Amino acid sequence: MDKKKLVILAALLLFLVVLVIIYLNLGGTAKPKPTQFISASQSESESEEQIESLTIILFFPSEHDSLLHREAREIIPESSLALQAKRVISELLNGSQRGFLSPIPPETRLRELYITKEGVAYVDFSREIMDKHLSGSSAEMSAIYSIVNSLSYNIKPIKKVFILIDGGEKKTLGGHIDLTSPFQPIYDIVAK
Amino acid sequence: MSSDAGSIPAASKIVINDREKLYKLRRGIPKLALAFSLVFLFLNVFSAPQSQPVLRISAQDYDNYSRVTIQSSQPLSSSIEQNDTFVFVKIRANTPFRIQRESFRSRFIKSVGWSQGSGSYTLTIKTEHENFSLDSFKVQNPPRLIIDIHPNKGQDPPIAETNRSGTNPQTADPECIVIDPGHGGLEAGAKGKFGTLEKDLTLAIGMKLAEIVRQTRASNVVLTRDRDVDVSLEDRSAIANNNKATVFISVHVNGSYRKGAAGPETYFLSKDATDEESRRLAFMENNSKELENNIQAEDEDLIKMILWDMAQTAYLKQSSQLAEDIQSELNLLWGTRNRGIKQAPFKVLTGVACPAVLIEVAFLSNPQEERKLLTEEYQRKIAEAIYEGLAKFLRENSH
Ligand SMILES: [Zn+2]
Repeated sequence: MDKKKLVILAALLLFLVVLVIIYLNLGGTAKPKPTQFISASQSESESEEQIESLTIILFFPSEHDSLLHREAREIIPESSLALQAKRVISELLNGSQRGFLSPIPPETRLRELYITKEGVAYVDFSREIMDKHLSGSSAEMSAIYSIVNSLSYNIKPIKKVFILIDGGEKKTLGGHIDLTSPFQPIYDIVAK
Repeated sequence: MSSDAGSIPAASKIVINDREKLYKLRRGIPKLALAFSLVFLFLNVFSAPQSQPVLRISAQDYDNYSRVTIQSSQPLSSSIEQNDTFVFVKIRANTPFRIQRESFRSRFIKSVGWSQGSGSYTLTIKTEHENFSLDSFKVQNPPRLIIDIHPNKGQDPPIAETNRSGTNPQTADPECIVIDPGHGGLEAGAKGKFGTLEKDLTLAIGMKLAEIVRQTRASNVVLTRDRDVDVSLEDRSAIANNNKATVFISVHVNGSYRKGAAGPETYFLSKDATDEESRRLAFMENNSKELENNIQAEDEDLIKMILWDMAQTAYLKQSSQLAEDIQSELNLLWGTRNRGIKQAPFKVLTGVACPAVLIEVAFLSNPQEERKLLTEEYQRKIAEAIYEGLAKFLRENSH
């Protein structure tokens, strides 16, 4: 009986140790400051030689219809999901390269982005996204769903997107669409 | 925790643990602690029974019908058969479901049972009387099959009077139309090229609509504002609920980055999982005292979610019908065709406990439409079109 418990305990400890080792090896991916892990940053630069560029799809509104349109873009893969997601947003904030409309005010900055294990991405924008935003339901919806669709489409573990402004929850961008709950992507508003 | 924690939105209680972990990650807490939390994370991920699809069955009474809701984590393919006092619902299933059945009390439904066949499940709903009519429809995100059982006239058991839910507007209460002119005060809403403000147009159209309803019907009319003042979105829905609104109509004027965007649009609340999640969280927030002491009670959580879910879907069909009735009148007015009714998570609609729509009467970002919107004549025409749609809806829904 006791022996059994001991075996289980030993197994658990072993599991833990293995996880610690795994974590230390992958440390660079979870840490925002990779410099603290010299070995990690070394392994990153080693793998960089083999890195191929990655195609992401951004969603922008167009002057011609009320749909969102896809725009492909090449990026260099980042070391973590959160960094990759940040990259998607900053590409979106840069606006379209193919003449689509930019639904987010250009002054807007991405403050922070993190992803929970349930797959909820918290995207924190500077307050320009609200203050400089063109008011109107359609304008709000195109801003929100260009963000939500772009994130969910490219970062598969993201199931829902929660939009924060200036570090906190806001009710709406301009009096219409509810920001107090997370969004799921809607792909039927995307042009075929 | 540092002040960062203060910025965690109130509605995100459920994810707070993970966020704490994330913050700790950033702060470089000793690796061992990290490893432990990682173990915890892994265990959590693996223990979550996500693979097996769930079929949740619940039932609830409304004033003059009972509703059975079958919710699934994947699209439902089903057929319904009515026989004597039974309703058989056959649900095709390629993989086995985990069945969760809620206990319920109903005036019209005696029992809900289920059996498993090859590649399908059969739900057996036993009703109190054989004289009833069925109404079923599907709702997406998450997929739900909703079956309403309407006992035919003369079948209401006497307890019906004492057991009334009081949330259904089609009862003894006088008809009350709540009109919500969007924005107001500091919040101007959309702006037109010629300086027109959304808040002024919504007020002008809302007041005209109120006037028409007052002159035409013997019903109460309540405006959420009749002046240029700020009214919070929560207060607007509270006004509807406090007045036991029969119908809630929010009037807005649209704005788009597209200069060519034109035409009216009528929205009702999208009932996707997003909403449900938020309502569930809001609901739990209000009941957090009991729930916090009871965090592992996943079932509790589930029950609340289902109850809340039912409260929401109660008006889904009517709201969609109201939206359709109004939209077709507006289409006639503007000569538009393709713009149908749409669903979107509008904040002002989330708390309204009656059929509710939000109308974007036209685009203020479109100079041609702005010019028309500025004329009294067009404002009146719009108000009349909305009234026609509303009147049609009320006719269809009078019992
Ligand atoms: Zn508006």
